[in-house]
Amino acid sequence: MELRKPPPVRRLTGYEVPSSPPSNGNGLHAAAGFRLPARLGAPSMVAIDRMQVEELSVSYGHKPAVQSVSLPIRQGEVLALIGPSGCGKTTLLRSLNRLTELTRGASLRGRITLDDVDVAHMDATALRRRVTMVFQQPNPFPMSVFDNVAYVLREQASRRPRRAAVQGAVHEALARAGLLDEMAGSLDHPALRLSGGQQQRLCIARALAANPQVLLLDEPCSALDPVSTRLIEELIAKLREDVAVVIVTHNLQQAYRVADYVAFMYLGELVEYGSAHKMFGSPREQRTKEYIGGAFG
Amino acid sequence: MDEDDLLEPDRSTAQDRRAELSLGALVFAVLALLLAMFAFVLHEGWPSFAHNGLGWFGGGGSVDQQIQAIFTSGDLKTTPVYTFHAWPLIWGTILITAGAVVIAFVSSLFVAVFLVEFSPEWLRRMLDPVVRLLASVPSIVYGLAGVLVIVPLIGNHLITETEKASVTPAIQLSGASVLAAVLILTVMIAPIMIAVFADGLRAVPRGWLEGSLALGINPWRTFWKVGVRTARPALIAGTVLATARALGEAIMLSLVSGGVPFAPNPADGFPIFLFEPTQTLAATIIRNGDQLDSPPMKHTLYAIAAVLLFSAAMLSLIGWAAKQPMRRYGVVA
Ligand SMILES: Nc1ncnc2c1ncn2[C@@H]1O[C@H](COP(=O)(O)OP(=O)(O)OP(=O)(O)O)[C@@H](O)[C@H]1O
Ligand SMILES: [Mg+2]
Repeated sequence: MELRKPPPVRRLTGYEVPSSPPSNGNGLHAAAGFRLPARLGAPSMVAIDRMQVEELSVSYGHKPAVQSVSLPIRQGEVLALIGPSGCGKTTLLRSLNRLTELTRGASLRGRITLDDVDVAHMDATALRRRVTMVFQQPNPFPMSVFDNVAYVLREQASRRPRRAAVQGAVHEALARAGLLDEMAGSLDHPALRLSGGQQQRLCIARALAANPQVLLLDEPCSALDPVSTRLIEELIAKLREDVAVVIVTHNLQQAYRVADYVAFMYLGELVEYGSAHKMFGSPREQRTKEYIGGAFG
Repeated sequence: MDEDDLLEPDRSTAQDRRAELSLGALVFAVLALLLAMFAFVLHEGWPSFAHNGLGWFGGGGSVDQQIQAIFTSGDLKTTPVYTFHAWPLIWGTILITAGAVVIAFVSSLFVAVFLVEFSPEWLRRMLDPVVRLLASVPSIVYGLAGVLVIVPLIGNHLITETEKASVTPAIQLSGASVLAAVLILTVMIAPIMIAVFADGLRAVPRGWLEGSLALGINPWRTFWKVGVRTARPALIAGTVLATARALGEAIMLSLVSGGVPFAPNPADGFPIFLFEPTQTLAATIIRNGDQLDSPPMKHTLYAIAAVLLFSAAMLSLIGWAAKQPMRRYGVVA
């Protein structure tokens, strides 16, 4: 898809990978025996501003779920949203591609832009084609594994392509989500009979096949074993160069491993936003310290 | 842990067992009743089938005259006459039922999709009860409306004099016709279909629809490829239900289709053959239901009933078979 105007490019300077475990929120150093997870991949040198969230507030009826949140989403830097259950992470994610519109009673204030165009003025389908979401609960379609991934390819094509024409892309997407080897030979298996973790990876594969510019991942590893989790994290690290990735996670070590920037939300508010290094090393806010406190010790 | 807690599982399994047994017995009883009904109807109709062979389903002669001969032969205690060729009735039933089911299916699907996914909330709230009300209107009301409004409308405004003249020696075109029957039957069964379709579409998990929308697939395609696809069992169930009602509809159809056992002839030209009257199988039973005291007549009517029963059973079977391939992918609405 063509960009309307070249997005602003920002070079990251003074970004460094922490070599020693950062002190945790309570000012205590991590226990000596604990090995801090290694960060994945070298930091990207180029970051492109893709989306801007400005003073976003979302409420369901009269109940506010997100309150005046502002933050940038950049290609080249993974953003992790962290915070306790019910703090509005999913709601924030859903408003980025206007899925909140599908919820009756949800109202939205503030502004979200994609490449400097207000998403409210864009066609919702065109927006979601560029900003794709993987849901917290795996929701594979009641079709075969193959058709789940091929679905988006077929729908994006102007004329329905033959199976052979999409096969390559389907296999690639499944391979990137780490599902191809497991599924080898049984791509016609019904998707709903996969295990929870397999379904989750299938949904990621589906989203990859859509080839988005911004990828929203809502707890993509919640049902995955360590090996699959590792694979998805490596995938995110690789994707980062080409796609702006936002990941919601309850696993702070994962946030530390994959994210370049971290946003901590609490009761709908954005409490603190900063580089992963800073957020996990020396957070400014007391609430952040308390939340992150237990993570590495 | 006290004794009660320990006893509880035992008691509940015993209850389960009892519930299972009584439900099983009930199902068995219903099945036995159904089989007995089949056997009875087939047995009563057998003389008619045995006498005519496959010719029963074919054409030949006038159904009215055959029925007259069958009836009187019973009355006079002479050798009973069984000669009966039901093709005009079968053809009329197929034409009217298929026409109404096809039209109702397509329009109901669109209405249901619109109702569930695209209509504004206030319109949906208004239409929902209206549809349910229409689905429960007794068919005779539709029949009266048809006789008083649709039939004269077709007779006076749609059929031209030349068209009437073109088929004059064979049949009279009064307006009571295949077309009137199809129209009114459509109006009668569409609300049933809409109600069942809409329930099925509403039961489609939101997560599947949102998952598709979140991939940038437009709402119509999403609803078509994920929603309607997932709701296919409900579409089949609604269609089977509506078709069964259409097949069994007798009084209303005998009012508006002309009650003439004539086989509308497509060779008469496209619009004209739809203006021709006919009579369905069920309507034939109703029209001659007062002649059951004539044994050959009774056997003939039971033979017609057996054909209807068999069609309904086939319909259910086809519906069941059509749902099987979907089950594999977890579509069970
Ligand atoms: N469809 C809805 N209708 C009404 N309220 C909702 C709806 N969805 C979410 N909420 C409310 O909005 C708030 C934020 O919910 P949200 O799902 O964004 O939290 P979350 O941070 O994703 O939580 P979790 O980590 O448990 O997934 C919650 O208090 C929730 O009760
Ligand atoms: Mg959530």
